[in-house]
Amino acid sequence: MSERTATAPRAPGRRIPGQEPRLPGPRILAVALLAAAGACTEALPTVEREELVRSGFATEVILEYDEFASGARVYGGFGRTSDMGGGFVAHDFGSRTEAGGGRGEGLEASSLLRFGRYPRSAQVLDTTGTTVPDTALTFLFGRLLVRFDSLSSVHNDRPVDIVAHALTEPWDGRSASWDYAIDSIGHRVAWSAPGGGAVEEIGRASWDPETGDSIKIRVDSAWIAAWSDTTDAARGVRVSTVTPGVRLRVSAALLRLETRPSVNPDTTIQVPSTTENRTFIYAPVPRPPLKTLRVGGVPAWRTVMELDIPSILDRPDELCDVVGCPVEITADHVSFAALRFTTRSTARAFAPSDTLAVDLRSVLAPDILPKSPLGPSRTRAPGKLVPDAWFQPPAGEILEIPVTGLVRDLLRGETIDGDPVSNTIAVLAVFEPLSVEYMSFDGASSPSAPSLRIVLNFSLDGET
Amino acid sequence: MSGARGIVAGVFGRSPLVAALLAALAAPASASAQSFLGFRALGVPIGAVDARTTALGNLGIGLARVEISATDPAASARLLWPTFGVTMQPSWGSFDMDEQSGTSRTNRLPLLGIGYPVRAGGVVTASLSGHLEQRWIARRQSTVTLNEVDVQVQDSYRNDGGTSVVRLGWAQRIGSVLALGVSGGTYLGRLDRVFDRQLDSLAVGGEVYSFREEYAWSYSGYLLSAGFNADPHPLIHLAGAAEWSGTLKEVPQDDAVGEGLYTIPLRLSAGATGRLSPRLAFNVSGIYQDWSTSDGFLAGVTSGRKWSFGGGVEWHVVEGETRSLPVRFGYRRIAPPFRFEAEDPVEAVWSVGVGLNLAEAEGFRFGWMDLSFERGDRWSAPLDERFWRATVSVGISRF
Repeated sequence: MSERTATAPRAPGRRIPGQEPRLPGPRILAVALLAAAGACTEALPTVEREELVRSGFATEVILEYDEFASGARVYGGFGRTSDMGGGFVAHDFGSRTEAGGGRGEGLEASSLLRFGRYPRSAQVLDTTGTTVPDTALTFLFGRLLVRFDSLSSVHNDRPVDIVAHALTEPWDGRSASWDYAIDSIGHRVAWSAPGGGAVEEIGRASWDPETGDSIKIRVDSAWIAAWSDTTDAARGVRVSTVTPGVRLRVSAALLRLETRPSVNPDTTIQVPSTTENRTFIYAPVPRPPLKTLRVGGVPAWRTVMELDIPSILDRPDELCDVVGCPVEITADHVSFAALRFTTRSTARAFAPSDTLAVDLRSVLAPDILPKSPLGPSRTRAPGKLVPDAWFQPPAGEILEIPVTGLVRDLLRGETIDGDPVSNTIAVLAVFEPLSVEYMSFDGASSPSAPSLRIVLNFSLDGET
Repeated sequence: MSGARGIVAGVFGRSPLVAALLAALAAPASASAQSFLGFRALGVPIGAVDARTTALGNLGIGLARVEISATDPAASARLLWPTFGVTMQPSWGSFDMDEQSGTSRTNRLPLLGIGYPVRAGGVVTASLSGHLEQRWIARRQSTVTLNEVDVQVQDSYRNDGGTSVVRLGWAQRIGSVLALGVSGGTYLGRLDRVFDRQLDSLAVGGEVYSFREEYAWSYSGYLLSAGFNADPHPLIHLAGAAEWSGTLKEVPQDDAVGEGLYTIPLRLSAGATGRLSPRLAFNVSGIYQDWSTSDGFLAGVTSGRKWSFGGGVEWHVVEGETRSLPVRFGYRRIAPPFRFEAEDPVEAVWSVGVGLNLAEAEGFRFGWMDLSFERGDRWSAPLDERFWRATVSVGISRF
């Protein structure tokens, strides 16, 4: 037993002669430490008071095209119509006759479909009521189902006649165009007649946008039997319209086969056929713009330009009056920057009929344009949305694409992470190709050329 | 002496709590005076004193049995052994300014000092102490017109920094009555100012970056102090000191502009301690410093008040041979050097404290911890600041 435990307990507060008073040191120290720890998280006093805050100055500067950019140009040919999946059907859409003017070329567009191997088996309910696999199917006829995007289609709210033709000439599902059945590198074969060559009508139907979003066209057994030969490169369906002045967006097209199963021959079932190719062909193909800028379309167009953001400004007057000119601009001064494009009315055949999305990316290797890889998107998903109405006459709307981060990087000479930054940018559709529709903007030689809007901030007293 | 040595070793050797405290205090911490006073100048002064001095309402001069002091050059003259002391000071504040109010919270390390006796009866002293500091944030909301659109703007201005002083001195006892001390010091410190402006991104158009400018200034300069203390009677302790300062330079760093040159006025201080009984003592102290004649400040910023004073009593509730427990009360009224607007500022503080003299012998403390709690009010219309402040000092000799 230790000496400590052997000591008799004493009454609290009574001092034993010869023994030092016992001080509550550890307890008080613990309290003090807790108090100190409680104040370890600092909070500065904060007040809303004008006179305590350094003066700030914000101004907006619009830089004209020649002050910040050069070399605006348009590249085309990105993507294929077959990449879009859906497609369009149109007939004499956007012609000047339709608009009441002189004779012009309207848009003609057809969707081309090629179906794949028919199903070899199906799960069928037999005569005893049991579901069994059936591998001896008899395909009686088919139904071609076509679904339209009623929102982005232009149909004037009237019924539209849709016609399905069987193609009879070999064609390439990836490269076929209005004039060529095959248009790959080193191998070009024209249709016997533009728009799909010689065709045979399968059937037709009328689509009333007020009653639904799809049509069905019966395909007789002869065509079903003919298309079962998957080695026949000519097999396929052309879906088109004969109603003038419409442009319909096809969101889906497929073939359903009416089938008699061997395990229950008294009934029929529907089995879907796979779709091997789905593309669309159209004419006329828009020519490259000479004095305007273009974004979108299929194959897609991109607008490219070089930026050279000035680091010294000597205007506007309100800026010079406050901070003195010339004034040096650094990345920190730029709170906001946006490229401004002025919309033009697009040829009606290709005018947007729904909201489109624009993206802006850095061109990482300008020397190998138009094939240069692009950097990540500079716009936030889903891109900068642009209403279709902005491209209808009289147009002239200002599209602003925020590029604050890019402008700050260019003024800094590098990204915030220290990576090099390209001064060449590309303005493009957020997905390529997105639509046959494209956006037009005034070019560099226009009075409404692209401009750069910058919001600058300064603090006015750097002295204590 | 061997007994005292043993007490020291025993107390600190068996106390991991004290060891932990010492370890915690070894980490650097910013001294801070969270006040809006002096926002157009150098802030508010830091009381570079320990918890005992604070509790007694003393201004850092004239207190008997002081081991470590940054403001009394001769205070350490009677140290027998190397002595180290450190002070930590958490505080909780609130303020009213016109219709606004707010709170603050901070932790400071106002004094760290050491005294090292050498031959010939002298003691080398060194200290690091707070001097003047300003830490606050001001905000402003306004509207600017951009692209013909009114855009909401929020500005934030953060001030964080101040000056400290490193002193090196010599305290010499002359006989049993008189002691003299001198010290030389240099200003240290840095002031960071951050201006941050946020624009309403919805009004501007998206992807808005805040505008942020950071500026920093460093402080330099030197100062000299000389002082004395005397015990003309066993019951009376007197002390006085004068501190002369060269120009305090505020040098811009990096992109900052504007060098500041401030003249710091002569600081004269005096104090006395009187023993009323073996367990009861009182002290008074005062400081004279005329900031109104200083150069380098904006017109109307410096205060016309020149005097600060304070006083208090110390009562040893428990008095043992090697340990004691004094309780302390005090009051002081300080004249901060810089106004908020036009009114000369005043700071009034009531204080209470307790000491844990864990090891002492023959009137010398070898290990101690002092605690004090203060309730203060600081005003210069329209600013009224209040604070609760705790001060913890720990000292050790014969380390």
